[in-house]
Amino acid sequence: MRNILLVFRRDYMSYVSAWGFWLGLAAMPLLILFGAFMGGWAASTTPVRYYAVIEDAPVFGPAIEDSFAREREEIEDALGEIAGDVGLDASAIEGATDNVSLPDFVRVEPPARTIDDLRPWLLGEREIDGPDGSKSLFAAIIVPADGGPIEYWSEEINVDGLTSRMNRISRNVARDQFLTSANVDPDLLDKADDAARKVEQKRVRTEAEEASAGNEVTFADQAPRFIALAICYFLWGVLFSTGQYLLMGTIEERGNKIFDTLLTSVRLPQLLAGKLLAVLAVTSTMMGVWSLLGTVFTTVGASQLPPEARQIMFDVIGAGLQPKIIIPTLFSFFFGYLIYGSIFMALGSLCDTVQEAQTLLSPLILILMMPMFMIMLAFNDPTSPIVSFVSWVPIFTPFLLILRMPNDPSIWLVISQIGLMAVTSFVILWLSTKVYRAGAVHGAGVSDATAWLKGLIPGAKKKASEETS
Amino acid sequence: MSENPLIISNATKRFGFFTAVDDLNMTVPRGGIVGFLGPNGAGKSTSLRMALGVMNADKGSISLFGAPPNQTSLRRVGFLPEERGLYKKMTPRTTIAYFARLKGLSKRDAYARADELLETAGLRKFSKTKNSKLSKGMAQKVQILSTLAHKPDFLILDEPFSGLDPVNQQGLEDLIIAEHARGATILFSTHVMEHAERLCDSIIMMAGGKKVFDGSLQDAFDVLGRGARIGVRGDFDVGTALAAKGFAATEDDSDGDTHWWRVNLDQGRNAQDVLRSAIDAQVPIAGFMPDEARLRDVFVKLAGPQAAMAFQSNPAEEVAV
Repeated sequence: MRNILLVFRRDYMSYVSAWGFWLGLAAMPLLILFGAFMGGWAASTTPVRYYAVIEDAPVFGPAIEDSFAREREEIEDALGEIAGDVGLDASAIEGATDNVSLPDFVRVEPPARTIDDLRPWLLGEREIDGPDGSKSLFAAIIVPADGGPIEYWSEEINVDGLTSRMNRISRNVARDQFLTSANVDPDLLDKADDAARKVEQKRVRTEAEEASAGNEVTFADQAPRFIALAICYFLWGVLFSTGQYLLMGTIEERGNKIFDTLLTSVRLPQLLAGKLLAVLAVTSTMMGVWSLLGTVFTTVGASQLPPEARQIMFDVIGAGLQPKIIIPTLFSFFFGYLIYGSIFMALGSLCDTVQEAQTLLSPLILILMMPMFMIMLAFNDPTSPIVSFVSWVPIFTPFLLILRMPNDPSIWLVISQIGLMAVTSFVILWLSTKVYRAGAVHGAGVSDATAWLKGLIPGAKKKASEETS
Repeated sequence: MSENPLIISNATKRFGFFTAVDDLNMTVPRGGIVGFLGPNGAGKSTSLRMALGVMNADKGSISLFGAPPNQTSLRRVGFLPEERGLYKKMTPRTTIAYFARLKGLSKRDAYARADELLETAGLRKFSKTKNSKLSKGMAQKVQILSTLAHKPDFLILDEPFSGLDPVNQQGLEDLIIAEHARGATILFSTHVMEHAERLCDSIIMMAGGKKVFDGSLQDAFDVLGRGARIGVRGDFDVGTALAAKGFAATEDDSDGDTHWWRVNLDQGRNAQDVLRSAIDAQVPIAGFMPDEARLRDVFVKLAGPQAAMAFQSNPAEEVAV
């Protein structure tokens, strides 16, 4: 035990004293902050763009402006509804729509009527006055009087926002004109849409539960599903990054030719245990720091919120911290780490260089990518037969068990899958020890592993032995 | 400590179809300095790794301090492997202390010992320099000091002189002698026979995975037979002249006008006796050379021309510049 702790301590200190650790530690909060401010920043930095509509009668020009106005209004309504739910007053959302990433297009009077004459403004050779000062013309929309295709002229063809909108507006204008010619009120369809009955999602509970919790589907009801999804992606990211740690650490140790010295002081299982624990502790340190930061920000943020919003926030957090989510998550994290970590470490012991590791890493990355696809499938339908089946494949189990927990699977299923992960972990750990011994002690390398794999393929064995000889 | 530190019995190690060590029997007596000799690829490192339990023998048994290699017996061993390295981010001080602690020393004792060793080796001012910044020679010193940190009863050094310049080779020889004087048993492998000639009281020779000799240094020299060479001008028959004095002499080779005769020495007679007898027999002596037996010649005789070629293909000294 003492030697395990010594190996653990040395490796842990080596990792946490490296720049990479501190960069990784700072990366997560910075990414969250970056993501949070990105939307507002993008909206506030989106330039105002001028466009002109050339048409005989004012049809499309007003229709485009109306389209932007209506979209803004819908966003304001939605924000107002959410603000009402969480107890914020209307002033709190004033200006919120300014931070919504709506492209800022302003219609100006066309400086000319034909594309040849408009060209200098569109190419930025000349500028036109508008509400935001003098600018070049971003786009010119020419509506031919003969009913032919509408021409959308712009130099910046990759900037979307106006082109797609024009297609929609063109359809709406055509629809309105068609209805009008048929003596039907063009607003009739909108009125029909408004008359549609709302669908309210209700949750079935026992009568006793319903008496206390009601039957509304709340944030707290939906939160576990999204929290489970977030945990799955987080787990995937953690496994991938810790795998890299183990891989690089083992390659470095092999490169340093230090195995023989170590193995006359510690037994191989002690060495591996120390190493696995060290990286687990590095990851736990990172998660601990992030959790601490999250708690601080949540506490500070919660104190600024009105009571209703605070309650919703605590309900959501509480839903994620339920034992039924947390306990399987801890097991999945631990066994998932052992399964993937052992594989990464064993591969590292076969490689002298990072380039060599790439050869073996590619198939492993493909294996690691597979849970990503299953995660989305399980998120949309956690009870589907394919998800149920695949959740028994050990490389998927750590992820899918977490995703299925919000649906309250039977306790026996949970225990069985935790047991499966435990057995798989120990089998893979045992196999990895064998590979590690071959790599670290006997100097086996990538070519040996490749030859061994070829030997498993019928027909390739003979060829491999010929190549070797 | 009364037992022999290491007994290897009938040990065999194969890698696929290649037999690296074939039915090896050897004993390292307590308090001895044993040279483990042979060219590269003779099976020395594999034997040492089996002795330490780093790899298991396919056949046979290993006894390290009276038991198969285990954590308890390994704590009494200091091992310097052939392929050496250090953790690049650690310092010499923390490296030595780390390996000392793995061998059972307390934290305080380990650091005190590291300081002591670094002081003795003249590396005190580099004690907090990262290993990656050390010169190759310094790094090798740190590795050797790490091996000695826990004052082992038994030192196993695999090609310890490899990569050292002549000054550091001499320093290492002094260190081996000092460790031996402290009471440590020493087993070191080398393919450079001169180190063994200077340091060892017994040697084990390996060739092609097999042991070809096991005995004292004197026994090894006796394999060649002791003798002397007498050079004479002309066709003088030295064999007949010395036969009367009880020496057997045979013509060996010629060097221009000088014909060289080899005279074998029986137990109890030396080169001076040959010279005296030749003068008495009025041999026209043009040159006289007592044989200086070298372990290399012993090895070539024991292991055969193939092993001799293996030696020729390896430089006698690997000197780091």
